[in-house]
Amino acid sequence: MNQRALYIIGTFCLLLALVQAGTKKRITKGPEPFLLQLPAHFPRPVYDFTRNPLTKPGVALGRFMFYDYRLSQDSTVSCGFCHQQFAAFGHFDHALAHGVAGQQGIRSVPVLFNMIWQKAFMWDGGVNHLELQALTPLTDHNEMAVDLKELMQKMQADPQYRKMFKAAFGTEEITSERMFKAFTQFVATMVSAGSKYDSVMLKIPGVAFTAEENAGYTVFRDKCAACHKEPLFTDLTYRSNGLPYLPALNDVGRMKITGNTDDNLHFKVPSLRNILKSAPYMHDGRFFDIFQVFDFYDHGVKVTPTTDPLVKQGIKLSGQEKRQLYFFLNTLTDHTFINNAALSEVRIE
Amino acid sequence: MILRIFASYACWFLVITTLFAGAPAGSGPVLSLQLSFTHLMGQQPLVRNQATYTNASGETFTISRFRYFLSNFSLETSDGSVVTLPPAYFLVDDAIDSSKNIRLDSIPAGTYKSIRFLIGVDSIRNVSGVQSGALAVETGMFWTWNSGYIMAQIEGHSPAVNTPMQEFLFHCGGYKSKDGVLKYVTLPLPEPLTVPAERQPQINLTANVEKWFLPDTVSFKKITVIMAPGVKARQVAGNYQHMFNITGISN
Repeated sequence: MNQRALYIIGTFCLLLALVQAGTKKRITKGPEPFLLQLPAHFPRPVYDFTRNPLTKPGVALGRFMFYDYRLSQDSTVSCGFCHQQFAAFGHFDHALAHGVAGQQGIRSVPVLFNMIWQKAFMWDGGVNHLELQALTPLTDHNEMAVDLKELMQKMQADPQYRKMFKAAFGTEEITSERMFKAFTQFVATMVSAGSKYDSVMLKIPGVAFTAEENAGYTVFRDKCAACHKEPLFTDLTYRSNGLPYLPALNDVGRMKITGNTDDNLHFKVPSLRNILKSAPYMHDGRFFDIFQVFDFYDHGVKVTPTTDPLVKQGIKLSGQEKRQLYFFLNTLTDHTFINNAALSEVRIE
Repeated sequence: MILRIFASYACWFLVITTLFAGAPAGSGPVLSLQLSFTHLMGQQPLVRNQATYTNASGETFTISRFRYFLSNFSLETSDGSVVTLPPAYFLVDDAIDSSKNIRLDSIPAGTYKSIRFLIGVDSIRNVSGVQSGALAVETGMFWTWNSGYIMAQIEGHSPAVNTPMQEFLFHCGGYKSKDGVLKYVTLPLPEPLTVPAERQPQINLTANVEKWFLPDTVSFKKITVIMAPGVKARQVAGNYQHMFNITGISN
């Protein structure tokens, strides 16, 4: 009798527990997660996703905002205005970034991909977190020049934004924190790791470097890879590559951030991925052709006290090496990324 | 037999987990403490834009803006032990009266003899990405080009400033050790403060803007604009860390 009572109570409790587990599951069921495929041959991402787990509506909201020109002061400039997908999210044919009312900045538009592996952002590393990166172009008077408080009100008044924020974050409330987290979610999905180089490294059957690409890879590893470290093709450090200082722009680079004279003219080592799609080159976009870059390293380096020791003697490149290097760099173009429909422009009505 | 023992244990386990799964955590009374700030210039209440003041260098000026962050509160009990309060961040703005009254929550009942807090936002929150509430970036108390919070800020005008608008802008920030302006303030209470369950005690404090210019004498001719971490921000922060005073408590 006693045993039977025990069993009955036990079954009842089990039922109760199951029911509660069921309701809990229903309560905590949030937006559908977004599964981001991380390349097997990459290190662990720097960005901490536990703070901001990717969700399908979150990524969709970030993408919508990325292409919404209404986020700028006078509704003329979106993020995607300067960050063009076909240019690996750099700005095709533009040496310097420009924004609302014909304003122009002093640096070129950085490409956007593999941002979740970066420790700091901008050419000088002044922005210390991916979530805060979009704050600079949004508010800079040379770029989108928007007042964030006004923008929050404007978005809150828009039924579509209220709907999208609710889908992504559970309520219609629009805050800057939510906005920047949604931007981050979209930018996090910009992963470029599907170039021919990657296929060769991952030993995908039937993919191999040509003889010239292979020779170029040897030149690269010999003369470039110390800074443009694989697999990201940047070691994420700040260096002066000996690019002659331009008084008109008066850009001291990382020294402005650290206040340390040793950092004068230091800029972040850019990735070489998609490099042939993202001209012009250098932090001020002064070179429009990759062969100008080769020539600069071969005989254009101007040594200053802060020039990196690795380039002080220049990097000698023969005509043949330049050609081989060009063919190797071509294997770093990620066509799946540049043509990825999930990243393309959305129509803003 | 073994099965039966197992079943009875499993039963009790289920009963207990079912009962406790839905119970809210922390069921004791939540006590709180009110801090009420009055802003001064010397002995007089601070009057923005209208009143003209004179700094230690003999320069006349007006104040148009006065804001600062407070965080990382702790209380020292009468027996000398320290109670660290849960993370809370406040932006006090002279232009917003409600911001001058702040409520500290989750205070254990007890008697306290001093209060300690940070002027600014600790370094961890400066490097942890986008934040909400008082730390939301649209307050403008955050540097976009060189990430980090402006810990304290005054703005105003002075004929001593040799620019068309004659404006001075002191935006003091910097969380990295070299250029850090993070200042902890410990203020003893004039009499022991009892935090009971039945009412909310209050501490009345003053923040005196005059202290921004002393003891390391500030002249608008030498310091006009501070908009980055560095020597000037550190100098002014070294001054303003002395701006707070407790004028009384109401138990």
